[in-house]
Formats: sequence, C-alpha cells, structure tokens
Amino acid sequence: MIVVVGLSHRTAPIAVRETLVLDAAGLPDFLRTLVQRPEVGEALLISTCNRVELVAAGRSGFDSDLPQVAKACVDALAVHSPGIAPHLYAHVGGPAVRHLFRVAASLDSMVLGEPQILGQVKEAYEVARQAGTVGSVLHRTLPRAIRAAKRVRTETVIGSGQVSVPSVAVDLTREIFGDLTGHCALLVGSGEMAEAVARLLKVGGAQVVVVGRTLSRAEELANAVGGTARPWSALSQSLVEADVVVTSTSAPHFVIDYDMVSAARRARRGKNQFFIDLAVPRDVEPRIETLDGEFLYNIDDLSKVVSDSLSTRTREAASAEAIVTREAEGYDRWADAEQATPTIVQLRARLSAALEEELSRSLRGRLKHLPEGDRAALLKMLESAVNRLLHQPTIRLRQAAIDRSQDGLSLDQLSAAISELFAFDAEIEAVSATENALPEVEADAENSGLSLAPKARVVASRS
Amino acid sequence: MVDIVTIAFYLGVIAYSAAATLFFMELARKDGGAARALWAPRLLALGGALHALHVVTASLLSRVCPIDSLHFALSFSALIAVGAYLALRERLRLSALGAFVAPIALTFLVGAQFVGQSNEAALGVSRTLLMFHIAANVLGIGLFLIAGAAGSVYLLQERRLRTKKRVAAMGSRLPPLEALDTTTHHLLLAGFPLLTFGVVTGAVFSQQMTNSGGAESLRSLLGYATWLLLATVLVLRKTAGFRGRKAAYGTLAGVFCMLLVLLMYVVRANGGSNL
Repeated sequence: MIVVVGLSHRTAPIAVRETLVLDAAGLPDFLRTLVQRPEVGEALLISTCNRVELVAAGRSGFDSDLPQVAKACVDALAVHSPGIAPHLYAHVGGPAVRHLFRVAASLDSMVLGEPQILGQVKEAYEVARQAGTVGSVLHRTLPRAIRAAKRVRTETVIGSGQVSVPSVAVDLTREIFGDLTGHCALLVGSGEMAEAVARLLKVGGAQVVVVGRTLSRAEELANAVGGTARPWSALSQSLVEADVVVTSTSAPHFVIDYDMVSAARRARRGKNQFFIDLAVPRDVEPRIETLDGEFLYNIDDLSKVVSDSLSTRTREAASAEAIVTREAEGYDRWADAEQATPTIVQLRARLSAALEEELSRSLRGRLKHLPEGDRAALLKMLESAVNRLLHQPTIRLRQAAIDRSQDGLSLDQLSAAISELFAFDAEIEAVSATENALPEVEADAENSGLSLAPKARVVASRS
Repeated sequence: MVDIVTIAFYLGVIAYSAAATLFFMELARKDGGAARALWAPRLLALGGALHALHVVTASLLSRVCPIDSLHFALSFSALIAVGAYLALRERLRLSALGAFVAPIALTFLVGAQFVGQSNEAALGVSRTLLMFHIAANVLGIGLFLIAGAAGSVYLLQERRLRTKKRVAAMGSRLPPLEALDTTTHHLLLAGFPLLTFGVVTGAVFSQQMTNSGGAESLRSLLGYATWLLLATVLVLRKTAGFRGRKAAYGTLAGVFCMLLVLLMYVVRANGGSNL
C-alpha cells in the first residue's frame, strides 16, 4: 500500500504553495534522498500549480508501516519548506490509493475535468523511474491510477467543453472556420481577456491585427500577442479582412455598427465573420446578427457556454467517482492478494532451494555424465514440478488474503502454519547466524550452471 | 453465387444499419463515445464493401452491366456517395455527415431491390449513349447526395451557432461551417458537368423516344429544374458571393428535384409509365 502526503489548493493558499517549489533539476536528488530514509522504499512527486504531493511506499512493500512512511514524508517536505506543516495532509493505505486515483482523474482539480493533470501524473512517474525511486508497489499502483483516469475520460464527458471564456471563444471560432491557419483575427481595443483570446488565436495559426485608438498602445499589444498594429482610422478596412473580430474597448457606445458590418460583408462577398464582443458596455451592435454569415457572441453568451460546460462536468463527476471507486476497490483486492506474496515467495524459494541442492549433488555424482541439453531438460522438469506443487497453495493463500470474511483459515493462520511447517523462522535465524552456509549452496548452483529460481526471489526470501 | 449475393446484401444492410445507429448515437451522445466514433465509419466502409460485392455478384449473375440497369445504377449511386464520404471525412472533419450518408446508402441498397428493370434500349435510343448517360448520372447523383448531406449539416450547425443553443453540449461534434460550405461547393463543381451531360443526353433521348408522355415531360422538366437550380447556386457564388446558408438551401432544392427525377424513374421502371 501507499501513502500520499502533500498540500493542494484545498488546504493551502497560493502564498504557501509557492514556498514548496521543487525545481525539475533537483527533484531526482530530493527523491533519492527520501528513499534513503529507513522507512521509505519508493517515492514520486506530483507537482502542479495547484498541488505538491509525495506518493510513497515503504521498504517492505505491502507490509510496510505506513504511518511511519507518512511521517518520514511529512518530515522531508517540512525540512524542505519550513512552515508548510500545518497545511499538509496525509492519506494512508486505501484512502491514499483513492486520493491518487481521484487526482489522476482530475476529480480533485481546481477546474474539474481539466486534462493536464493526467500528463503531470505520468511525468511524475517517469521522473521517479529515471531517478530509480520507483519499486514494485508504485510500479503497480501508478499504471492503475493512469488507467482509472483514462477510463474516466473515455467513459464520461467530464472533460467536455471549455471552462474559460477565451477557450470557449476560440473553440467557437474553430466551429466556424475549422483550421485557423491563414485566417485573420482583428483585435479592437485592449483588455486582459481579449489579449488572452488573441494569443490563443495566434497559437491556432491566425494572423492577428490590433487596432486601437492609441497607436502606441496598439503596437504594444501587437508585440505582446505577435500581431501587427494599425491606427483607429483603419478599422473599417480591417473589418473587411478580418474573419474573427475580438472587441474589448471601454467606449460607451457601439464602435462597430450595423452599417459598418454590412458594408464589410459586401466587400467580403458573403464570407462568414465571427464577432467576439467582450466589452461592457457592448462594442458591437447586436443587429448585425440578422445579417447572413455574421455571428456574434457577447460576454454573456460566452459565460453561458462556460456555465453549461461546468454544469455538465459537475453532473459527470458522479459517474467519474463511481469509476474511481470501482478501480480503487479492484486495487484493494489486488493489494490484499499481494499480502500473500511473501509467504508464496518463501515457499517457492524453499522448494526450489531443496530441489536445486539435490539436483546439484546428483549432477556432481551419479548424473555427472549428462550432457548440457539433458541437464537443462531436467531443470525445466523440476521447475514445472515446483509450479504444479505450488499452484493450489498459491490460490488458497491469495484467496485467504482477499476474502477476510471466509469461514476457513485466515491468511495469517495459513502463513503461520506454513512458516511453522517449513521452519522459515529457524531458517532466517540460521541465515543471519551463519552467513557462510549460504554461498556454499549458491556456489553449488553456480558450479552446476543451473538455478531453479530467480536470484532476486531467493534473496528476497532471506531478507 | 446466389448465396453470395444474398449474404452480401443482408450483411451490407446490417453494416449500414449499425453504422447509421452509431453515427446518430455519436451525435446525440451524453457520455464518452470514442468507440462509437471509431466504429461507425469502419462499419460504413464494411457496408460499402459488402454493397459493392452484392452489386458485382448480382450483376454477374443476371448478366447485366451495373450501369446499364436502373436497378444497379441506383445502388451504385449510393456506393459513390459512401466512397466520396469516406475519402473526404478525415481531411475535412466531416465525420458527422455519416449520420446522413449511412441512412442514404441503406435506403438505396434496400430500395433498389424493389426497382424493376427499365427497358430504355427498347425505346429506340443509342445503347452506347445510354450507358454514358447512366454512368454520368450515377456519379453525379453520388456526389450530389453528399453535397445535399453537407448542406443539411451546414444548416443545422449554422442554426445551432446562431441560436446559441446546445453550444456546450454538442461541442465540436459537427464539422466546421467553412468545411461544410467548401465541401458542398466542390461537390457541386465536380458533379455539375456530369449533370449537364446527363440532362443534355436525357433531352436527346426524349426527342428520340416515340412514346414519351406527360410523365416523361415532367421528368425532363424536373431534370432541367435541377440543372438550373444548381447552376444558379454556382453562378451566384462566383458573381455575388452567394454562399453559406443561401447556397445550402439552393443545393438542397436542387438535390430534392434530382431525387424527384429518380423517384419518377423508379415508378416508371415498376410499370407506372402511364402516369
């Protein structure tokens, strides 16, 4: 199981969040330092403008002391940025998994359903992989979180529509013109939102022309958005060239009236034209909408689209939560089953070691004459025998781990019985007491060129 | 062979029906529809392939050239429409047009089964010219069907953006207005020479036919009306910037007349020439 420790827009204001900045270059070292702590075995860091979260697992995989892991993570973050401790939260075990899945699915984002978070989670995973701080637990948890997020995006419309006025304006422009490359966007007046729209149109490939009452201000804005500036007197001519017109002046009257648009329309030979009026009071005379091919959206129209998108996303959140819950429950079952793994590994190692030892002895003695091919076949046969012998015990152990309400023996009881029968505890004691006994067996196996079990498993069983 | 004809027909009907259903569901979807968006055009393409197999095997079986028979010509027109749609949909973001094309293809595939064989050759007209006449009309009808579908979607999309209703709900599921307008125009440009040839040769046949009656005159009249309407749309676009909604209405009027002409052919082929 995992822990999630961090802060987000829900627990910390921006003044606190900005103190916890880990630059990309220093992040691998931070993670490596963290996993050197005795409690922490694996770690990755999700860092966005709205959250910084450490996702970590203990050294003993699914058997770790998670509160201790969480405490180590809190300490690491608090050391890095003193003063954030009151804003930190820690989720442990099942709640941590559910939280991670919700984060990846954008259910915990400031803007519900925003698509960037999934990419940021993937990036955090990749950075940690390259830093070497991801182990078996996170390697199995993160892909499940990403899968849950993908399911949410494909099975619900939580990410549908735009939720900001500039994005809605640009989406509507695309619905009229499609690809914006080669289209002309006219920006009349200045204003933060109009500038944002102009920037998005420019990114989409449109040529931006800025017309302002003050040419120097228009030039300044044009430079900022990568367009060209024209004097106010060029407005009528610019209207003829413009496919999209974004207005945001502080004029108390219409700056673009019906007659101007009508004249421009004739010169444009009926080509569609889209007016985005972001000004209050309005800059564009509403009557232009009666002209064929002229489309007009004012700030209220755009805000209504934003509001509708947000409503849709909120409605979809329930379905998305259900998907996340199902995925988290699936993870819990899998994690429960994983608790049986140490016993299974020990059992397999014991059987493998015994057979390996006998095989090595025989290969040095009566079966000395066997060629390489026959030795390999013999090894394969013994490996199959181990698998067959362990098939039922593996199923029973995993079942006992998942189904805690069953009437039969619990996982702890079964593990204890196996441990007692095979004297695992005695073996561990013997291994730690007489280190020199171990190389002998390994040396035998190496001499014979044969090994039934992967080395990592044998080592794991003895640690 | 008979089995192949029948199986291809029924499988084609199923594929077209499934494609039409998925296209409509995709337009009306409330949840994510990635799978539908993926499978609808695939099923349409499969339907087209089965449709083509049906036409080829059926024409081989009955020893009739597909374009020498109204029965197959009707079917072939729908195939042309399906092919044109599949070729254009990715490039011009016309996916939503499938909601029109799939039902049209289904209607023509099934409808052609109820059309008997016309006997133009027996009416004393040149067989070679007749084949060219039918081939031009088949191609033209296929292109105009897509143009009509694009015009219809243009009107839907334009109305939606103008009334500002369901803007957020529909998102970008309908193609951009300019893509629809340009597609309609290009299809009209491509189909118009074929239509002109069809109308001229049709006029020649009318002159040659000895038993042309009132129905024949009405059919010719509707053919001329189709030509005139579509010519007007093209000329006015060039000279007076006649595009967008007006062009879409003009195109739909022309396509409607064309469909009436087709209907008259069907009625006549089924023995209603004494209308």
